[in-house]
Amino acid sequence: MDWLTSLFPWITNGPLILVQVMSGLSVAMFLFLVSLGMSLIFGVIRIVNLAHGSFYMVGAYLMVTLVELLPERAWAFWLALVVAPAGVALLGGVIEMALLRRIYHREPLMQLILTFGLILVIGTLVLVVWGTDNKSVSRPDVLAGSVALLGHPFPAYYLLVLALAPVLGLGLWLVFYRTRWGMLIRAATVDREMLGALGVNVSALYTQVFVFGSWLAGFGGALAAPTVAVALGMDADVLITAFVVVVIGGLGSFAGSFVAALLVGLLQSFGILIFPAVSIVLLFAIMAVVLIVRPWGLLGRPEDAH
Amino acid sequence: MLVGLAVLPLVAPAFFVVLGIEIAIVALFATAFNLLMGYGGMVSFGHAAYFALGAYTAALLAKKAGVAMLLALAAAPVVAGLGALLFGVFIVRLTATYFAMLSLACGQIVYTIIFKWTGLTGGDNGLLNVWPPVLFKSPVAYYYFTLAVVGASLLLLHAIVTSPFGYALRAVRENPRRARFVGVDVRRHQLLAFTLSGVFSGLAGGLFAFFNGSVFPDFARFDKSFEPLVVALLGGMHSFFGPLAGAVGFKLLETFIARQWPVYWPLVLGSVLIAVIVLLPQGFVGLVEGRGWRTRPARPK
Repeated sequence: MDWLTSLFPWITNGPLILVQVMSGLSVAMFLFLVSLGMSLIFGVIRIVNLAHGSFYMVGAYLMVTLVELLPERAWAFWLALVVAPAGVALLGGVIEMALLRRIYHREPLMQLILTFGLILVIGTLVLVVWGTDNKSVSRPDVLAGSVALLGHPFPAYYLLVLALAPVLGLGLWLVFYRTRWGMLIRAATVDREMLGALGVNVSALYTQVFVFGSWLAGFGGALAAPTVAVALGMDADVLITAFVVVVIGGLGSFAGSFVAALLVGLLQSFGILIFPAVSIVLLFAIMAVVLIVRPWGLLGRPEDAH
Repeated sequence: MLVGLAVLPLVAPAFFVVLGIEIAIVALFATAFNLLMGYGGMVSFGHAAYFALGAYTAALLAKKAGVAMLLALAAAPVVAGLGALLFGVFIVRLTATYFAMLSLACGQIVYTIIFKWTGLTGGDNGLLNVWPPVLFKSPVAYYYFTLAVVGASLLLLHAIVTSPFGYALRAVRENPRRARFVGVDVRRHQLLAFTLSGVFSGLAGGLFAFFNGSVFPDFARFDKSFEPLVVALLGGMHSFFGPLAGAVGFKLLETFIARQWPVYWPLVLGSVLIAVIVLLPQGFVGLVEGRGWRTRPARPK
């Protein structure tokens, strides 16, 4: 064990490890929200939405504006947390109905490029509306400080994120496995043509799924806004990380997104301790290995033969 | 047209000469990329990596080893091609969306290595003062040099796509399974196309290094990978000269809009992209050639 402690001096530092685990879990929560939406949209609509990071960014910026505009009351933050993601969901709905719907029959490449075009358009609009300065969202008073975790300070806001995780997880599980709508979504990821043949309005389902996926991204962005500098460029950062999560977990797999988000969140949190220089390379290396060994991801299904 | 290109430096201001160099380099990069996308039906999201490998190879050899420009430039496509071969072995095993994703991951690995290996690459600061020797130092001289290299490369690429290999590649694009039945080694063709595409992308990168006078990690970033894609798409990916036309349009648009309203350039580019996809499936060349002139059969279901 001596070589271990000399190599990783923090390994005997229990509280530090706990704090790292907790912050890794909070990061995993944001990642899960974003990548689940991305994975869901791919699973049902078969489009890799490159603009998903942009939706996240818009969610964060809407949060900035709403918290500024609303009166300084205790409820303002929570209202903003509800309204901002709804705005993003609306945006997603407009995009799906105005643009994506026209190209569902085209090659996947065209769909990818269209969503890439959206990154550029949304990025510029955000720049024009909110300017180049970094913004920040103040945390609600209740959660402004930090709490002591075995003697180490830990931001109280992250406790909210961690507490929300099981609530949201349960909620999503109920939606997917206990409602008719969830059943339709799961059916659509398995066989869309059959679902259409059985008389389900697939077109409406696509819109709903895209709106829901956008909402998840917007909620992730709004929830993360108080923990990061809200800045231009967060769209690309989030997109790439979410992409890695979705690929590792398996496109279209809900459980996969969850497992991979945990993995990547913890890896980011500990990677900085273990391999400070190469933690990002490590992330992509893992993604590359997964793609080579199991292209459909850890918990995904192999691509259909047709 | 050739005469026009030859006399351009004599009649046009220096500004257009520099623009001409940029257009030629982008045209080569996009045509190399389109060997994959247009002819092979493979879309790489990490092609900036091979451009950057070429640029860094040329810059490092010229700057750190003092190698002559022509030799450094000759090494650029070799290293980029080797890189493409190495990653390609794994990438061509996958198809469609997964192909694009693995190429993106490989591209990001290259980007991160360049970005982090400060000792060799200078990290974020890049490598500065990579200038051609006196003979090619003036923009006009470098213009003729670039034109010659790019022209020769385009001829070579054209020979490749009209060779039996080029036709086999098209067969692989249209229907991999049927191509296999008639005896085409699908993966081998795809790998060769990927490597060749990397070779010419690396050459474009090398040319750009000496033109720009410096190289930066941004060359390998994922947003750079979209440049050849956008150019090829704007020009029309189903014709050999599409990317060339796209390069002219793209650079002109960029020069006039990005100089005038730099903030709105991505907005314009994004809107043009979306409009082309929704309204002009064949690109601008498709508009000239008449729509449906070269329609693709429906994707096999």
